[in-house]
Amino acid sequence: MDNTLLINLSQQVAAMQTMDVIANNLANMSTPGFKRDEMQFSEYLAQARPAEGEGDQHTLSFVEEAGVARDLTGGPIQVTNAPFDFAVEGKGYFVVQTPEGERYTRNGHFTLDPQGRLVTDGGYSVQGEGGDITVTQTDGDVHVAHDGTISGLNGQIGKLKLAAFDDERALLREGSSLYSSQRPPLPTTPVKIEQGAIEGSNVAPVVEISKMIEVMRSYQATMALSQSQEDLKRGAVDKLAQFQS
Amino acid sequence: MPALNIAATGMLAQQTNVDVIANNLANMNTTGYKQQSAEFEDLIYQNQQLVGSQSSDTGSVLPSGIQLGSGVRTAAVARITSQGNLQQTSNPYDLAIQGSGWFRIIQADGTDAYTRAGNFALSPSGQIVTQEGAVVAPGIAVPQTATAVTVSAQGQVQAQIPGQAAPQVLGQLELDRFPNEAGLGAQGNNLFMQTASSGGPQAGVPGTAGYGTIQQGYLETSNVNAVQEITSLITAQRAYEMNSKVVTAANDMLQMTSNMGGSA
Repeated sequence: MDNTLLINLSQQVAAMQTMDVIANNLANMSTPGFKRDEMQFSEYLAQARPAEGEGDQHTLSFVEEAGVARDLTGGPIQVTNAPFDFAVEGKGYFVVQTPEGERYTRNGHFTLDPQGRLVTDGGYSVQGEGGDITVTQTDGDVHVAHDGTISGLNGQIGKLKLAAFDDERALLREGSSLYSSQRPPLPTTPVKIEQGAIEGSNVAPVVEISKMIEVMRSYQATMALSQSQEDLKRGAVDKLAQFQS
Repeated sequence: MPALNIAATGMLAQQTNVDVIANNLANMNTTGYKQQSAEFEDLIYQNQQLVGSQSSDTGSVLPSGIQLGSGVRTAAVARITSQGNLQQTSNPYDLAIQGSGWFRIIQADGTDAYTRAGNFALSPSGQIVTQEGAVVAPGIAVPQTATAVTVSAQGQVQAQIPGQAAPQVLGQLELDRFPNEAGLGAQGNNLFMQTASSGGPQAGVPGTAGYGTIQQGYLETSNVNAVQEITSLITAQRAYEMNSKVVTAANDMLQMTSNMGGSA
């Protein structure tokens, strides 16, 4: 294959991957606390051997994936009025205890388990400053203050533990709205916790759909380029064949 | 191409969302019905390039890795057990719970079920029963001669018998609470069953700490908010549409690929 086709191929692989990222963003349009991803590319330069009769080397520029950047803008706060739905305004993650260790999440949809512990949809316990948070039967309706203090009829039950990170993009996605970190979390600067509300996904459908169209068109354009390159080659072969006869 | 499968998970999730909304809207006028909502989670990620891995032997690290997602799944269909409005009916056997707690119902097979729907009636033998004829615990019989039955806020059932000056106490209604109400298993007919995730029932007298009070002559309406449901329905429908657009786009790309060099 010649270089034109290879360069086109690198662009097509990139377009396909961007499409996967867009599909994942759109699929998670209704996932609480979801942060959208954006595919980023860089230029990969390669020196081509000079063709016969050419003096200088020339440089080929391929597309190479550079990384997937997470867009950390806050999602819209949706009011649910459920007593154990929490939204964090500002930087901070809820701390969840899983068998694999501490995990962090922005998805504040919690419930109580049969023992009255505050847990995620996956059944992992949500951590307070002093470990698990257990709501007893006599606590009645639970109130959560903006600083995360949980109180009931018998007084304070606990305080939601929040984790902050200096580089949030370095958090690894684990699925199920959970993140893991290789570095220990930092203490948080004060954040506001809203009870009875949940942070929605920060995916903006308009942006994703227009990006999707853009990717499709660029794929199409590359395809047309490959096609005309093919035609050119076929034309050359035909011409050469004519000269010889 | 993963985009096809990812978009399919998105469509599936939104379909569940619409199903849940449809059920909520259908039960808008069901006594004691508690609204449900579908909750979503992202699926696992494929690590193609780990964040923070070294990009050169001089120790420079990658600022962002490549983690490709694989879509969405329904994590739970949670029940929102907030209080519904109280609607006056003036029927003496219509009981509403103001606050938390559930009525215990003894079903025909002897098992217990729990309900917030207090639209009770009398059986031929004079017992307070549900509309399906199941006995309301602890099983209170109203004498045929009773002229009026009153249920106090604390759940005491009294009857006025002709010829007696003081009202006769017939029994005491109790309420049951669960550590995790959202974990109760719905079984239709407004009845819920205890499950492993709800925890065990804890009976108490209405009006005591943590338990609601009983309002006679009222019914608790469903807590479905029609405006909210319709808005969610529109959002869900649009989200479904957008995911299907991804399927179309991915399909178009694949078609172009298969046509590549086809004219040769």
